[in-house]
Amino acid sequence: MNTIVLIFVIFLGGAILTYFAGMLKGILKEILFLATVFVPLGLFYTQISTGDTFNIELAGFALKWAITPFSYLFALIVISVATMAAVFAVSAMRGTKNLGFFYANFILTIMAMMGILFSRDLVSFFIFWEIMTWSSYLMVVYRGEDVQKVGIKYFIFSAIGAYAMLMAIVIVYNLTGSMMIDTLVRAYPAFDFNMQILIPVLLLIGFGVKSALMPLHVWAPGAYSHAPMAYTSVFSGALSKMGIYGMVIVLVSLISYFPQGHWFREVIAWMGGITAVMGTLWAIKQDDAKKLLAYSSVAQLGYIIVGVGIGTPLAMMSGLFLAFMHALFKGTLFMVVGTIEKQTGTTNFTEVTGLIRKMPWTFLAALLSIIALAGIPPLGGFIGKWMLYESLMSSEHYFLVIVIFFSSTAAFLYCYKFLFGFFLGQEEKEWDYVKEAPALMVIPMLVLSFATFVFGVFPGLILNPINEAMQTLGYANTQGHLWEMSVIFNDWGNQVAMQPIIYAIIAIFLFFLIFLTLKSYKNTRYVTTKDISSSGEVPKEHENLTFSINFMQPFFRAVEPLMKRQIDKYYNGFANGMEALFDFTRRIYTGNGQTYAMYVVIFVIILLLLKNSFFG
Amino acid sequence: MDSIWYKILGAIVTVVMAFIVGLTYMGLSRKITARVQNRKGPPFYQNFIDALKLASKTSAIHHGFLHHVGPAFMMITSIMSVMIVPILTGDQWFSNLNFKGDLIFLLYIMVFGPLGMALGAGQTGNPNSAIGVTRGLSQMVGFEIPWVMALVALMMQYHTTSIVDLINVQHQSGTWLMFSSPFAFIAAVLAMLGMFRYSPFDIVGAPTELASGPVSENGGKYLFTLMSSNSIFAFAKLTLYVDLFLGGASNIPVLLLKTFAIYLIPMLYGIVSPRYRTEQAIRYFWGWPLFFGILAILHATVF
Repeated sequence: MNTIVLIFVIFLGGAILTYFAGMLKGILKEILFLATVFVPLGLFYTQISTGDTFNIELAGFALKWAITPFSYLFALIVISVATMAAVFAVSAMRGTKNLGFFYANFILTIMAMMGILFSRDLVSFFIFWEIMTWSSYLMVVYRGEDVQKVGIKYFIFSAIGAYAMLMAIVIVYNLTGSMMIDTLVRAYPAFDFNMQILIPVLLLIGFGVKSALMPLHVWAPGAYSHAPMAYTSVFSGALSKMGIYGMVIVLVSLISYFPQGHWFREVIAWMGGITAVMGTLWAIKQDDAKKLLAYSSVAQLGYIIVGVGIGTPLAMMSGLFLAFMHALFKGTLFMVVGTIEKQTGTTNFTEVTGLIRKMPWTFLAALLSIIALAGIPPLGGFIGKWMLYESLMSSEHYFLVIVIFFSSTAAFLYCYKFLFGFFLGQEEKEWDYVKEAPALMVIPMLVLSFATFVFGVFPGLILNPINEAMQTLGYANTQGHLWEMSVIFNDWGNQVAMQPIIYAIIAIFLFFLIFLTLKSYKNTRYVTTKDISSSGEVPKEHENLTFSINFMQPFFRAVEPLMKRQIDKYYNGFANGMEALFDFTRRIYTGNGQTYAMYVVIFVIILLLLKNSFFG
Repeated sequence: MDSIWYKILGAIVTVVMAFIVGLTYMGLSRKITARVQNRKGPPFYQNFIDALKLASKTSAIHHGFLHHVGPAFMMITSIMSVMIVPILTGDQWFSNLNFKGDLIFLLYIMVFGPLGMALGAGQTGNPNSAIGVTRGLSQMVGFEIPWVMALVALMMQYHTTSIVDLINVQHQSGTWLMFSSPFAFIAAVLAMLGMFRYSPFDIVGAPTELASGPVSENGGKYLFTLMSSNSIFAFAKLTLYVDLFLGGASNIPVLLLKTFAIYLIPMLYGIVSPRYRTEQAIRYFWGWPLFFGILAILHATVF
């Protein structure tokens, strides 16, 4: 059997088996689940090479599955996040109800994502896209909280995206008579102008919904925070990247080929920039860690869209690199929140505090991924941010670079809020019972967060597949003049060499660590967080010194005008308006036979009265 | 000069010089402040005495590992900045890591330390520390905008992000960027007021209000490390301004003269100003400094 088919058969079979394996003992079920995630992905990694194809005929449509270097790059993202999240999920989800349902949906999502990456024709692309949407929707409503509000919102936006995409696919089929993506790309330059605009816009609505592009992002905070955290790390880490995947294809393979495409991409880039700023500001305001990370995901996807939208080689590289890094660190951070939720029962910064000494390994993972998120060298996030800034400057986007800078400086605020809210601050008696999570939950987090460190020092490890992916999209080879294994260059030839920098940082840190520790750490005694300087008074045990409510108040006093308008309100207003309209129609269609008879009579009378003017 | 040992020796010389100059400047600022306020003030070497005293003290308590390593994080930023910023143009001894990083890298490494230090301050559990940190981060968002606008204007105008290249531009044209890009200079200087955290922007430490904020739980060696890190960092920032706008310096006396001239701006502005509230500070930076930043970018794009 073809390996490509084998992969999907295992996924599908595993999903069905885990769903119906309710009778199996817990451990067997977990092994079955892990095997269904690991075996096909392992098969993919070892057996599949770019160029393998599989063709079938289905209901008159020729379907083609193959892997290109570009989709291989995104498959790497899926593999790294999905495997770690699966290991995490096994331990994190132990003891919850409907476990089979969770496992099956988890596997289906991964299968759908791999399917999207394999699809070379629009039919299977759309089918897998819908499987992905459905399985993620079922995960959003998995816990049954706020289904009306959150689930429906996600569902409606996904439906809008799917219909837009379906319309585009139908138009493409009508124009070219083929469902192949390659045919579309080849035929696109010859389309008339209206179609050249319409097709990308429709497709981008579909992809924009999944990648939470403003103003299509409103579903994201709710959906990300309502799905189980083990799944959200895939949801935000990998699933949102499918939107980016499609977006890159549309922007590079289609839009570049018509003359006004430049402006089109400019608009997309600015939308990404605004998404980044507003996502960041709303993230700072959240008191719930899940919501904070959800808005932060929106903002980070904004950066990626900026890079992809600008589309110079350096910008595209930065977008794809950030996509990879975002998968790693946001995957980790959602796992951290999942861990804290499991160990303490809450994810609210105003409730839980001072966990650093109780959960040191979780803290380490959170710290590394937060540093990567903030884009501080020497971790991976910095490489992406650096390339983004440099590409914006060398492509003369003067004000967009300021917008991005503002957003990523403001991101420090929520980064600190996240770390301080959970791990630092006053240690309270209430949380004394909290213990470090089991190893199966900690190890995936540590693996992912250390990966950001490795890729920060040796960005070439990721830039190599990115380079190959970009070559299939039609870019020139960038190795050597834009990047080397641990050096990155901008378009003007300036460089950042990571290796000497990392050695210097480690040397300085070790020197002062020894200086501070020598005759100090052992000889000093640890004192509690109540034993602090407070103007000569000694705080009593019961006195509450926790600082977590209105954490960034002074900042919000300054940025208030920016946050008055909320796109969500407009959508709600629109929904209310529609509801009023439907209410009005309901009054006409009363369901009463006599009323309908009356309508007929009135209609006939009007006809008779106006007979002369109509037919005369 | 290619041996690794020469490089390490050069780095040590740079750091020691930065430490001495930074502490002296701080001492001088105390003296000048006192004279303006009609006091006698401490001698200019008072800070060296303080540093020596702190270094020789032993600490009795600590608040956990992160608090313990917080000052070391701070040191990374200070020393890395001083390594990246070209101290003397064309001097082998001081060319530490000048070509290994650029302005954007410098901007980002400059927040590494304060954030690490903020984490250490967070672990102490002192609410004043955390309040100071949130204020500091908010203020940073404020002044970073005009500051980055000024830098972006320079980088766009001269098509380089390397500090060394920007110095070379000034050498070739014979005019300082202060005169050829005046709006960028104004925006950068206004942003500097926030960066140096003198009054009216001393909302982070906020004496008599927050009990010195993030530093409040540190003593002995911790405070010594923080203090020396601050002085090195101050020197690095001053040298950066000199490199970017005043044409760099080819020998040490010129460097000292130029850096001290720059240093006087935030200091003298601070002596006569009362403290802002946090949101006032942020809005200050989004007023005139932002306006000059926009002018700088327009200037860079038009010419």
